[in-house]
Amino acid sequence: MARTLVIGYGNPLRGDDGLGWRIVDRLAKMVAGEKTKILAVHQLTPELAEPISASDLVIFVDASYQGEPGSWRCEAIAPNGEVSNALAHYFTPVGLLGYADALFRARPRSLLISVAALSFDCSDQLSSNIEAVIPDIVQYIGTQISWFSQISAHSAVT
Amino acid sequence: MPKEILIDPVTRIEGHSKITIQLNDSGEVEDARFHVTQFRGFEKFCEGRPFTEMPSLTARICGICPVSHLIASAKACDALLAVRIPPTAAKLRQIMNLAQVVQSHALSFFHLSSPDLLFGMDGDPAKRNILGVVEAHPTLARDGIALRKFGQEIIALLGGKRIHPAWAVPGGVSEPLTEDKREKILASVPEALLLIERTLSWFKGVLEQFREEIRMFGNFPSMFMALVTPHPNGIHQAFLEHYDGVLRFVDAAGNIVLDQVDPLRYQDYIAESVEPSSYLKSPYFKAQGYPDGIYRVGPLARLNIIDRCGTPRADQEWTEFRALRRGVILSSFHQHYARLVEILYGIERIEQILNEPDILDQHVRAFAEPNQFEGIGVAEAPRGTLFHHYQIDENGLIKSVNLIIATGHNNLAMNRSVKQVAQHYVKGSHLQEGMLNRVEAVIRCFDPCLSCSTHAIGRMPLHIQLIGPEGELLDEVKRN
Repeated sequence: MARTLVIGYGNPLRGDDGLGWRIVDRLAKMVAGEKTKILAVHQLTPELAEPISASDLVIFVDASYQGEPGSWRCEAIAPNGEVSNALAHYFTPVGLLGYADALFRARPRSLLISVAALSFDCSDQLSSNIEAVIPDIVQYIGTQISWFSQISAHSAVT
Repeated sequence: MPKEILIDPVTRIEGHSKITIQLNDSGEVEDARFHVTQFRGFEKFCEGRPFTEMPSLTARICGICPVSHLIASAKACDALLAVRIPPTAAKLRQIMNLAQVVQSHALSFFHLSSPDLLFGMDGDPAKRNILGVVEAHPTLARDGIALRKFGQEIIALLGGKRIHPAWAVPGGVSEPLTEDKREKILASVPEALLLIERTLSWFKGVLEQFREEIRMFGNFPSMFMALVTPHPNGIHQAFLEHYDGVLRFVDAAGNIVLDQVDPLRYQDYIAESVEPSSYLKSPYFKAQGYPDGIYRVGPLARLNIIDRCGTPRADQEWTEFRALRRGVILSSFHQHYARLVEILYGIERIEQILNEPDILDQHVRAFAEPNQFEGIGVAEAPRGTLFHHYQIDENGLIKSVNLIIATGHNNLAMNRSVKQVAQHYVKGSHLQEGMLNRVEAVIRCFDPCLSCSTHAIGRMPLHIQLIGPEGELLDEVKRN
């Protein structure tokens, strides 16, 4: 099975910003295993470059300001040589992948799941339309992990 | 008609802020201000919650220094219970707090400030970033990762996870330390010591290149405040302290202004003012009034007010550090240097505490119902002294919360530092990278933590506008 890292990030006391935590919490009950590491973090910090470098598949889950609240998308991301000036204030997923690449020469396949949020106000609750899409997203991530593992196993055999 | 230069937001600090630089009719800097534009509302948000939730709630204030809030909050809750926590629990909290200092200082030095230190303030902005550091000095970048990991691993081992461990609880800690965890931490100490000593050696070698910045970066007389440990044998020497102890204030000449102050009486000496232009409160030393009562907290303040660190290698480095200038060190640029000395101290002190005979004791929590309606917890966070002050009702629900965070203590000093740098470096009405970076870099010396919280895709990292006398846009810089 491929080594997978899922990182849900955000602030669970800032309303929908905590959706990454909620998603990986549900996911942990579904895909627990030695080869799957699941992290809920407040923000992307530089030392995450190390577990990223030890993974074959990395999935980031975050809230987004963009889009209709409750809508979500998944995109493949990779280091692109660009460096955000935000740097270690918080790393962006692409910036963190670039850091892992520069430091450890590691380029795992990476996906970013962005969920359009409604509210970032002080609250430990998600908006109802965000809550409603969580099961779909959890299922989707589980499918991606299984699929990637199958592909990896197949590649290893052939 | 005055003009205004706006730097919004400032990058590579924790949170969201902007800097405005006010020009007069002659085009010279009249005033400069550091504004915190992010409103958190934690003090109101916590009202009505059970006090037992406060450690884990307030730890969510920040993703970089959650442990500091956890510790200060747990101490405030200890006061509400009116219990003396078991000695082993206090030692374990000390270890976690020091691990927090190590990892936070490592983030500040290696990831936020090392690009400026390695490439210079006028270095090519395309290279003056952490990837540039990886390329030009990979050892420095890897050392930064490893030192941060050292601190983070200790936090994870003690608390169960790196971010927001709910381990420090009212009355102590939730779990004792195990033998295997102690051995694991001790095994990582030698390498951590090697890395920080290598970094100190490198930093001292490049320090001379920053003579101008040392002179102009927040270099002014002010008071300094921090907790200190009185010597256990009664000798009148104050040691470096991050968890407990008493407050000491010294003036710009190094004279003790106040000593042996019970931190629970902080309101006798510190008051808070609010400026309409910023959400960050401005604490000041009461006796000198507002805004004259500027004092600084954090690593520089801590090293300025002590008589020695209390660990062998850090004492050696501290002696060298204090020899930079007769009396106390006034330049805020030396916060970087002070952070490295504190990392060294933190690693040594963690090792010392882990080798104490009762560190594996199983009694790590005292249980009680609330016995006081008011509780105050104080600890040294990486950036300075942190106060948590709670009042509860007869049901144990929070009635009021007052938090004074380290960055707040430094607010007046940061404003004065920005003004000093702006007056020296800002010339004319065009924005130049090196000048702007120096204005930002002086803020980064304080490593302000503005409660970094909401972050999501789609925000512009830096937007700078130069506004003319009639409100017209004279110059604009966007960095992405």
